[in-house]
Amino acid sequence: MKFFETMDNLVALPVIFPAVAALFCLLAPRPTVWRRVLSVLAMGGLLAHALWTVCHVMAEGPMVLRLGGWLAPYGIVLVTDTLAGIMLALSSFTALACALFGFAEEQTADEHPLRLPLLLFLLCGINLTFVTGDLFNLFVAFEVMLLASYGLMTLESGARESRQALPYLTLNLAGSALFLAVCGHTYSLFGTLNFGEIIGRADLLAGDYRLTLLAVLMLLVFGLKAGVFPLYHWLPGSYSVMPAPMAAFYAGMLTKVGVYVLIRIFGTVLPPSMTDLHTLIAWTAGLTMVIGVLGAVGQGRVQTILSYHIVSQIGFMVLAIGLFTPFAIAAAIFYIIHHIIVKSALFLVGGSVARLNGTDDLSRTGGLWRAAPWLGIAFVLQAMSLAGLPPLSGFWGKFMIIQEGLTQGEWVLVACSLVASALTLLSMLKIWLGAFWKDAPVDRPPVVSGGSRRMSVVVVGMACVSLVIGFGAETFVRVAKHAADETLDRAGYAANVRAANDTVYPAKTPGAPKP
Amino acid sequence: MTNQLEAAVLIAVLFGSGIFLCLSRRMLSMLFGFLMLSNAANLVLIAISGDPTGKRAATVVEGAADGRAPVDPLPQALILTAIVIGFAVAAYLTVLIYRLYTDRGTANVTTLFDAKAEPVAGKEDLS
Repeated sequence: MKFFETMDNLVALPVIFPAVAALFCLLAPRPTVWRRVLSVLAMGGLLAHALWTVCHVMAEGPMVLRLGGWLAPYGIVLVTDTLAGIMLALSSFTALACALFGFAEEQTADEHPLRLPLLLFLLCGINLTFVTGDLFNLFVAFEVMLLASYGLMTLESGARESRQALPYLTLNLAGSALFLAVCGHTYSLFGTLNFGEIIGRADLLAGDYRLTLLAVLMLLVFGLKAGVFPLYHWLPGSYSVMPAPMAAFYAGMLTKVGVYVLIRIFGTVLPPSMTDLHTLIAWTAGLTMVIGVLGAVGQGRVQTILSYHIVSQIGFMVLAIGLFTPFAIAAAIFYIIHHIIVKSALFLVGGSVARLNGTDDLSRTGGLWRAAPWLGIAFVLQAMSLAGLPPLSGFWGKFMIIQEGLTQGEWVLVACSLVASALTLLSMLKIWLGAFWKDAPVDRPPVVSGGSRRMSVVVVGMACVSLVIGFGAETFVRVAKHAADETLDRAGYAANVRAANDTVYPAKTPGAPKP
Repeated sequence: MTNQLEAAVLIAVLFGSGIFLCLSRRMLSMLFGFLMLSNAANLVLIAISGDPTGKRAATVVEGAADGRAPVDPLPQALILTAIVIGFAVAAYLTVLIYRLYTDRGTANVTTLFDAKAEPVAGKEDLS
């Protein structure tokens, strides 16, 4: 019994660990080497823990922790299933890569003293979003994440960029107020905020207009976080003005948090009978894909092009959620795994381009294929993967989604996704020609330094991970399928949360060891 | 919670005027708009402390000694958390607006995003 309790306590580790590490970082007023070492150790430890969690959960089933020992429907529970484990691994991996890239980019003394602590707090909020099993706790997790992200966004921006934080802040504030109202609505409908408890009570309300209203409001709130079609306006401007490593972390994780919550809410919490709503989700996703990619075609800076592509790629994941079969959800999960790594790596390439050329404006860059061939190779691999060319990781994700679309006869949506993929290739080609293939501008040749070489190493490392996902797709698809089945197993989720009540109050038998 | 018309009207008015103020071009109006929005959301939480079908919420203890049933504590805990978070975010928004004012010399969104009012040319794209 004692042993199992310790195991379940590990569920809270991804939340507590970054917060403690951030506080330790704050103890030193200036950036020092030991702070960097501490952060890398913390993120590496989180990555190791998350990978262990995925293996453990796949073998033994989800882990549930009741915070403070309160009985399950009344207190807050933290639940780690396979999907949450995958997301934890991705968040700590991306944070680690972006932090290392930041270390390569800047000397220790030049680093902003608040960057690492805020990054760790951001990680804390993101991880809480993944493991929480309570709607209001999800709201708190969002706020922890958003407050850290507001701070990080304006931390190092100059007078010209700081204004881009305003649309991000205003839309997210409106979203938060709406989320709070949604929490209230949920509590008044179900009398509980616990996901496991809502599952059973939502089934009784299936078909009721109040439940539909609640689902539409949730779609609005989490669609805003994910950057789905009418609600994506805040995204492209705000991501492209941040320093490269931070932009890469935001690009990789923050919108995917929204997608994860959409999967969790529509897959696990709400009843699967809301087919009209799923159709609505699928069609918004189709529009998101096309409009995002059209926005990208007209842009002239690497980071802005990539920002619009986030919007477009979100469309693919959300389309898979809208198709709503176990295979489609597995496709969405696989796509998330692929997308987070590829997108962060591409933003880091954009940062390296800006470092080597002094700008990432494609009319004034060039000559990087000669100056930094490894960076070029990493870029080509990631760009082709983003566009979905076989045998790279993006191909398998798109293949699964399109296969499911064809099975369901959604011809228009499949056509949308193919058009979006072709246009993605077009704008990746634009970056390739503008930054790598073209001759360097005569007055500003690329400057290769030790820093830019170290930055390339991080990017190449990420490209290798993405290659592993592409070539080892079978393993990853198997994990994604397991995660999807577990996510859609609503009765199993509720039973797991209930079963957690037995672990802290064991049946009183004489002579049993005290917990 | 049989009749909550007055709460509904109040929430609608607060949300409506909050959104109206948020859409304003003046940043100070936006700030006040957000304060109203977060208060409207808090009022929603107060209004739900009970079940709309008339059943008692799960944690209420039935029949206290003086005949008055204690209220459901959970929405109050939620509001307390929401107020604290709303306060922190409002503080951040105030600081951001002040920073934008010092950076760009304007507290109006139209001039903030006006392409003609760019600061110094040549400083751009060095991010």
